[in-house]
Amino acid sequence: MDRRTSGSDSIPFFGRDFLESAETFTRIGGGGLGGKAEGLISAQSTLLRIAQDNPFHGVSVGIPRLTVLGTDVFDAFMERNHLFDVAVSDLSDRRIAHAFQQAQLPSEHLGDLRSLIEEVRTPLAVRSSSLLEDALHRPFAGVYETKMIPNHQPDASSRFHRMTEAIKLIYASTFFRGAKAYRQVVGETAESEKMGVILQEIVGERHGDRFYPHLSMVCRSYNYYPTGRARPEQGVVNLALGLGKTIVDGGVCWSYCPAYPKVPPPFGSTRQLLNETQSRFWAVNMGPPPPYDPIAETEYLVEGELADAEYDGTLRHLASTYDAGSDRLVPGVGRDGPRVLDYSPLLTLGDIPLNEMVNTVLVACEEDLGVKVEVELAMTLPAGLEGEVRLGFLQLRPMVAPEEAVDLQPGELERPEVVVATQRAMGNGKLQTIRDVVFTRPDTFEARNTRVIAGQIDKENLSLVREGRPYLLIGFGRWGSSDPWLGIPVTWSQVSGAKAIVEATLPAMNVEPSQGSHFFHNLSSFQVSYFTVRPGWDRGIIDWEWLQSQETVTQTEHLHHVHLAEPLLVRVDGRTGMGVITRSTAGEEVGRAEEKPTEE
Amino acid sequence: MASDNRAFNSFEMAQAQFDRVAELLDLDTGTRELLRDPQREYSFSIPVRMDDGSSKIFRGFRVQHNDARGPSKGGIRFHPLETMDMVRALAMWMTWKTAVLDLPLGGGKGGVVCDPHHLSAREQEQICRGWVRQIARNVGPLQDVPAPDVMTSPQHMLWMLDEYEAIHGKKLPGFITGKPVGMGGSLGRKEATGYGVVITIREALKELDIRPEDTTASVQGFGNVAQFAIEMYERIGGTVTCVSSWDQEDQKSYAFRKVDGIDLKELQGITDRFGGVDKARAREAGYDVLPGEKWIDQDVDILIPAALENEINSDTVQAISPRVKIIAEGANGPTSPEADLVLAERGVFVIPDLLANAGGVTCSYFEQVQSNMNYFWDRDEVLGKLDLKMTSAFMGVSDTARGQKLYMRDAAYLIAVDRVAQAAKDRGWV
Repeated sequence: MDRRTSGSDSIPFFGRDFLESAETFTRIGGGGLGGKAEGLISAQSTLLRIAQDNPFHGVSVGIPRLTVLGTDVFDAFMERNHLFDVAVSDLSDRRIAHAFQQAQLPSEHLGDLRSLIEEVRTPLAVRSSSLLEDALHRPFAGVYETKMIPNHQPDASSRFHRMTEAIKLIYASTFFRGAKAYRQVVGETAESEKMGVILQEIVGERHGDRFYPHLSMVCRSYNYYPTGRARPEQGVVNLALGLGKTIVDGGVCWSYCPAYPKVPPPFGSTRQLLNETQSRFWAVNMGPPPPYDPIAETEYLVEGELADAEYDGTLRHLASTYDAGSDRLVPGVGRDGPRVLDYSPLLTLGDIPLNEMVNTVLVACEEDLGVKVEVELAMTLPAGLEGEVRLGFLQLRPMVAPEEAVDLQPGELERPEVVVATQRAMGNGKLQTIRDVVFTRPDTFEARNTRVIAGQIDKENLSLVREGRPYLLIGFGRWGSSDPWLGIPVTWSQVSGAKAIVEATLPAMNVEPSQGSHFFHNLSSFQVSYFTVRPGWDRGIIDWEWLQSQETVTQTEHLHHVHLAEPLLVRVDGRTGMGVITRSTAGEEVGRAEEKPTEE
Repeated sequence: MASDNRAFNSFEMAQAQFDRVAELLDLDTGTRELLRDPQREYSFSIPVRMDDGSSKIFRGFRVQHNDARGPSKGGIRFHPLETMDMVRALAMWMTWKTAVLDLPLGGGKGGVVCDPHHLSAREQEQICRGWVRQIARNVGPLQDVPAPDVMTSPQHMLWMLDEYEAIHGKKLPGFITGKPVGMGGSLGRKEATGYGVVITIREALKELDIRPEDTTASVQGFGNVAQFAIEMYERIGGTVTCVSSWDQEDQKSYAFRKVDGIDLKELQGITDRFGGVDKARAREAGYDVLPGEKWIDQDVDILIPAALENEINSDTVQAISPRVKIIAEGANGPTSPEADLVLAERGVFVIPDLLANAGGVTCSYFEQVQSNMNYFWDRDEVLGKLDLKMTSAFMGVSDTARGQKLYMRDAAYLIAVDRVAQAAKDRGWV
């Protein structure tokens, strides 16, 4: 049994008493544990320190109980079932997933898995934790699957089946098309990847047929999208009701700067706020069994509406009520009226010191890791003001913070060679390697076609990645949104070859720019610049005419791919948020910046 | 083998074991009399028309030792030296084995005095069908469920099932276990006994606070049980340095040793269908080829006797290395009572056959359940359940042994006999 890797050596083996054991973090099988698990190992001592200081009365902070299947289990699964040929084939994701479902898990670990499931009857998260994620310090969020299972069937065999199916799905997702393309981008092969699997209790409570936490959070100690007075180094927190999938998928959530918790995101009006805050949430489906589909990540998830959450009694600390008479929001749900998830009871009234907790965790993690960090948290709240608050620590990742300075002057955003310009750019640095541009056609764009566009982008991305050609991607609405009416619902793996991305608006797609999802962590880690462009606002420019006049590679009803004779120059000033993409002109500084990444 | 073997009568030994435990449990006379002897015994003639046109009469047996806890369960042996006493002893041990695993079954055993090596497939089929015709009214899914054993195979089980269903005019796949997969057999059955042996070893190592990666083992036998035990033992991190196997041609056994660890796949590649390893090719592959009995004196941590009865006896027990910490009995009855005394004194952790090789009957029970439902589980489900069942049985025996300061074998018997006695009492039999 291989016992390589650093932190994982200190993790005890699973002892068949998942719920009662003093060990809340165990492992099954040898090998590495993967990036996510390693992140949690490094968070353990930090959390212990926080717990010892005990700054928050009535709040329990900790990593939810978990056990990790080491990568040796994955190796044995692949080898004994002869799955490598299928894995590296060109078969569709469904066919690969199906082949993996037919395979058998290593028999020496079945007893441990069976005993876990015999004991646990509450929902479990089955998460990927890959070795490359750890080795490269790069996020693979959205590349590999995570599956939530309700795990509440009275029959242990049913529960066991659901869990083994979920594990096999995670294994199969190592070889899905998106994952292969992604690895190609980072210069890795299928053989170099190994998958650990985290089996973890889900933080949350059961409300009828739904199980979910009151609050999910992604907190970063560096903000690539600072607004108002907030500075990048003051960080950003994204909040969502229900499971964190809302944030991870780039759905509508609430963002604030921990230095200014009472300052809302920049909505134009109360009515806009009412319309554009989170109105749906994800929960684990504890109701009647859904249609059998073991290879769907969302098989056991259900989407609820605010009215459902109100029925469940989970809005008390999270929502305000819109008062039409005064056109303002009143914190809490004490009166009738439309509810708005603005977290005022927590952030403004201080029902529970949420922001202090978040700050404490962020600062402690940043101190211990010595770099900017991103953490994922989930929280359950008491029904009233008294009672226990549970803060579950789900993930810790180091961030890559920008250091290289690019000094852009406002005048540079208006020069004739500008192709794209904005004062709302994310990232920092220069790049001059892009000769391909893929853009959604402004003349034919309609929100109802975003799913089709996502599929076409996937195709273009795949062929550009295969040929090793970085490209500029331009589209309308929030990139990566799970709601196709808010933007183009791509996953990160579908745009993984883009080195610069433009999020534009049109009258038909005029939404608030996307903020705070794992998508942005991917952007920063892979040094991808991100431009939010509202033509006519914030010096926003896109030279559509020039783009359309370039040599066409492919063109569909919705998408246009052009190839340029000379590379574009991409520059982003991380301190001011100004960004500009210019076409090449003679005499400009070309070449020197060629190898420089946008963010170091 | 064995000066102990001269006057060896299995049934007398089984009764002696029972008497000792009955004493420990202070059982009343009625219970002792009930459990000391089988509840039912059948002995019958099976006439078979041979391939040469002659008729031959074979002697068949079935013994149902006790069914207080559920339908009797036990194999059918084809053996030229089969005796009623042997079948009685084995039936009694089945009662204890199912009880120690806490399976809702009793114990039975059957046999036919014959040597399949000298019988054609058609003749063997006739014996199988004849055996069923004689006993069809007294066996069945809710009465007594046979299974393969010495020199009987899934094919024999299928012939027997076919005859049984023809007699009763309906499909009754739960009548017999050990059927071929796809014909009512269970996935995981062929691995179950060997894997089960190693599950108990794994748990014993945990109790002794030894990492499997730090251990080596020597295995007697290279048949089905041994091969799967080796596979699982290697998977949990252990290293097998020696195996012995029977050479059909030389009519003796040899031990094959590689100090760095044998290569299971390599050895399987040079093994004939009887489990005999090709000596010349083994030498070429770097194995030391030693006399068969050398498996027992290897300097290892674990011994796995997985072939014959009475192999660890008063003569051989002294050859066991002082390094040996665990003996896991993959075979039935590999240790004589005299050898037990020596091992107990030396503090060797013996995992008794009753427990160590119960993976087979446990999986047979799973097959019976699946067959009765006519709904079959996947392999992960079978082996996951097997692991749990074996682990919890091990813990039960080990806790009793520790709590009552008993030798592991005595603890296993104590649990088993107590359970069966209690069931008989609860039914009002005694």
